[in-house]
Amino acid sequence: METNQEKTANALILMPEGRLDFGAAAEFQAALENGVAEASGAGLAIIVDCAKLDYVSSAGLRSFLVGARTAREKNVGFHVCSLVPGVAEVFKVSGFGQIIPPLADRAAAEAAVAS
Amino acid sequence: MRLEVSGQIECLAELNAGLQTEWSRLELPEEQLFPFELSLEEIFTNVVKYGQDAAEPARVIVTLTRDGDSVVMEISDSGFAFDPLLAATPDTSLDIDDRAIGGLGIHLVREMMTRVDYERRDGYNVLTMHKDLA
Repeated sequence: METNQEKTANALILMPEGRLDFGAAAEFQAALENGVAEASGAGLAIIVDCAKLDYVSSAGLRSFLVGARTAREKNVGFHVCSLVPGVAEVFKVSGFGQIIPPLADRAAAEAAVAS
Repeated sequence: MRLEVSGQIECLAELNAGLQTEWSRLELPEEQLFPFELSLEEIFTNVVKYGQDAAEPARVIVTLTRDGDSVVMEISDSGFAFDPLLAATPDTSLDIDDRAIGGLGIHLVREMMTRVDYERRDGYNVLTMHKDLA
């Protein structure tokens, strides 16, 4: 799995691509933690744009949870957006949607970090 | 379909590839594969985890069949007798700091499948999952 990055004026955007399964979870967690560290230093929020994330399992959810906790500890905003239907369902039934409420799309996420 | 692998984490990719091939062969709708991929990963990683202290890895056998408007996946493993359905349901309403890191996998399987049954049969744990096609 690959995680590309982009920067806007207010956010560091992480774009995971492919399958976030057991085998990819540790690498993705490291990408989130590195992203949070970078965002913290630059005064940015994190947006995880999941438009190209096809699949997530409980192992992948744990990476999101650890990433969100790290962000909270460092006072970095943490948002996810653009979930495909299967990934959205996993967020919903796991209750993660209440911890990290998914935003509809990139525009909504950028609006959330603009204020 | 009958896939048989050793209960070692390296075999997950092979199992998943087998599931995808069979899904196409049965001409099942692509958009409904997700809960099966997920359940296969969650159950298989559990078998691997609980088998870590065993002298040798469990055998894991997966079958997939279409039954009218539903799909049935059966995952059997020769590991220690263990009924994952007895695991406590995690509290999915807890806040970020209180959420346990574990216990989610089987919860997801139960939520995403129509029915899940466990039995111990001839030295195997057999988990049978039914899902009605939407």
